Amino acid sequence: MAPGSSPAPRLVGVALVLIGIGATATSMSISLDQYGRWGARFFPLAGSIALILLGLAELRNAPGTHTTERKHLPAIAALLMLSVAYVWVISGFGYLIATALAAPAALWIFGIRSAAGLGLAALLCPAAYHLVFFKLLGVFPPLGRYFDLLDVIGGY
Amino acid sequence: MDIFPALLTVLSDPILMGWVLLAAIVGMIVGAVPGLTASAAIAMLLPLTFYMEPLPALAFLYVIGKSGRYGGSIAAILFNTPGTAASAATQLDGYPLARQGKASKAMKVATISSVIGDFTGEILLIVGVAWIATIALKLGPPELFAVYFAAFIVIGSVIGKSVTRGLASAALGVLVAMIGLDPISSTERFTFGSFDLTNGIGLVPLMIGIFVLGEVFAQIEERGQTTEMVQNGNDAARNTLTWAEYKPCLPHVARSSFIGAFIGMLPGLGSAIAAFVAYGEGKRRAKNPEAWGKGALEGVAAPEAANNAVSGPSMAPLLTLGIPGSTIGAILIGVFLIHGIQIGPTMFLTSRDLVYALFACGLIGIVLYGLIGYFGAAFVGRFITRIPTKVLYPVIFLTSFVAAYTSRGNLFDVYVMVAAGFAGWAMRKLDFNPAAFVISFVLAGGAEETFRQALLLSDNGLMIFVTRPVALLFLLIGITALVMRVRSLNRQSRAPHLEATQ
Repeated sequence: MAPGSSPAPRLVGVALVLIGIGATATSMSISLDQYGRWGARFFPLAGSIALILLGLAELRNAPGTHTTERKHLPAIAALLMLSVAYVWVISGFGYLIATALAAPAALWIFGIRSAAGLGLAALLCPAAYHLVFFKLLGVFPPLGRYFDLLDVIGGY
Repeated sequence: MDIFPALLTVLSDPILMGWVLLAAIVGMIVGAVPGLTASAAIAMLLPLTFYMEPLPALAFLYVIGKSGRYGGSIAAILFNTPGTAASAATQLDGYPLARQGKASKAMKVATISSVIGDFTGEILLIVGVAWIATIALKLGPPELFAVYFAAFIVIGSVIGKSVTRGLASAALGVLVAMIGLDPISSTERFTFGSFDLTNGIGLVPLMIGIFVLGEVFAQIEERGQTTEMVQNGNDAARNTLTWAEYKPCLPHVARSSFIGAFIGMLPGLGSAIAAFVAYGEGKRRAKNPEAWGKGALEGVAAPEAANNAVSGPSMAPLLTLGIPGSTIGAILIGVFLIHGIQIGPTMFLTSRDLVYALFACGLIGIVLYGLIGYFGAAFVGRFITRIPTKVLYPVIFLTSFVAAYTSRGNLFDVYVMVAAGFAGWAMRKLDFNPAAFVISFVLAGGAEETFRQALLLSDNGLMIFVTRPVALLFLLIGITALVMRVRSLNRQSRAPHLEATQ
């Protein structure tokens, strides 16, 4: 790659312009103040227009096509899905169950294949984090909407 | 002279000293682990400090930042992998020295130079910061907005490979900061009808996402790579550092310390730029430039002094203007805010003792990481090779979720952290600038407030920024920095074509 050039310039340029146009439209819907001035609208609008201009500049300087490495994308996608699912399971079934599921899944994604290790992580991680954050620091834990193990074991 | 009573206060408090010592050790380990940065560690530990007193909380994170900068040199010299971007320059001569069986000698040079550089930066901060704060108190809204404007431009354009993407990162940071209620009129902005968004995006989950979870995503691409340490020879003569050997390094250390301190004061530039500028300048002035890159001790000393000299002065814009000069400064804002400490020039009137006690902790932290590094860097290196990254990063992954939740006890923040984590990975992948994004997010509120105050003061609208000389000066600094950066990148991109045609 030549110095100063960056990956996927056309894609990035188009994305910036589209985000900028969306943000500009949304900025224009921000209410004016009681004197009809743009007070609350000015900064969001300035940022949005800056994005459009920077996107156009990116497109203008875009060289030929670039190939990006896709070898790791499945693992990245798996970790992203695990992240979203982890938060959703926390909200539905509480921190302990969610972490007992997420810990071995994260280790699996990073290449741990030992069944004993994964099982140990499912037990130790929820216990350790619960002890440090919710017992020692006194943070109120996120309770599950449908079911929470803490209700059964009487943690809270 | 407020620093001497502050030093006594800190030295006489064993618990505070314990936090400083722990921070020196944690920072060194984190800095030495390839892929982990002090910023990531600080962002992850930030919610824990909400439960601490303000001074131990600030001192703990501040010293992790200092020690983490130094820790990067351990990885650069022993593993041929820079632990932090700033230590990449150290690697150029540090690793060849290690290959020659002089790893301990290189580590000792790195340690002494880091300590001298860090001390220089910290003392310049202590001497100069109150003076800068006095001047900052005299700045009105137009001047302050111009300073913010220059900071946006410098942060967005000077770091990274692409000016447009750097500036776009800054603009995105501004837009994300606008989400929520307008602080003056309470008008909803970018909330899309969501109640959760009316409170805005939290600084802590955003930073944990960008710096911690984003790094975990990035580390997936490094799976299977092992960290191998260069075996240090047992030859005492090769690894003992004599005064005669270190003496030629001293001029480089002195020059590089001032280069680092100056670059540190400028918002957003950071350690990596300081280290490379100092390395280039050192090589240009060296008596033995041909030896640089092949294992010159001066080639380790110069970048290490500059890299660590950035630490103290980078706090100056944060403490005097409320403008974070670095990502670590941006994260420290979270600690100040959570403890109800107003940052900016008035801080020297309202929390003077706290500020000087923090500086004292910084000085003690330098001594502690210096001692640990001088006598124990090889041990730290061996310890790091035993940390299995397959386990480390999943643990960091799980910790980031609970840390993001802890900040406000809100699962929405955890979703924000996940989104920010993915965005942080994508930004790194596409040459955007995550640091510019976060710093702009932090700056946007203050910039908007001063901009609107300035317009209220003005009879001629935007002309107020041009008719006030100090405001105009800062606007010109921002524009000049942008023009110079674009010209420099154009020259770089033309160079291969010129070489090809010749």
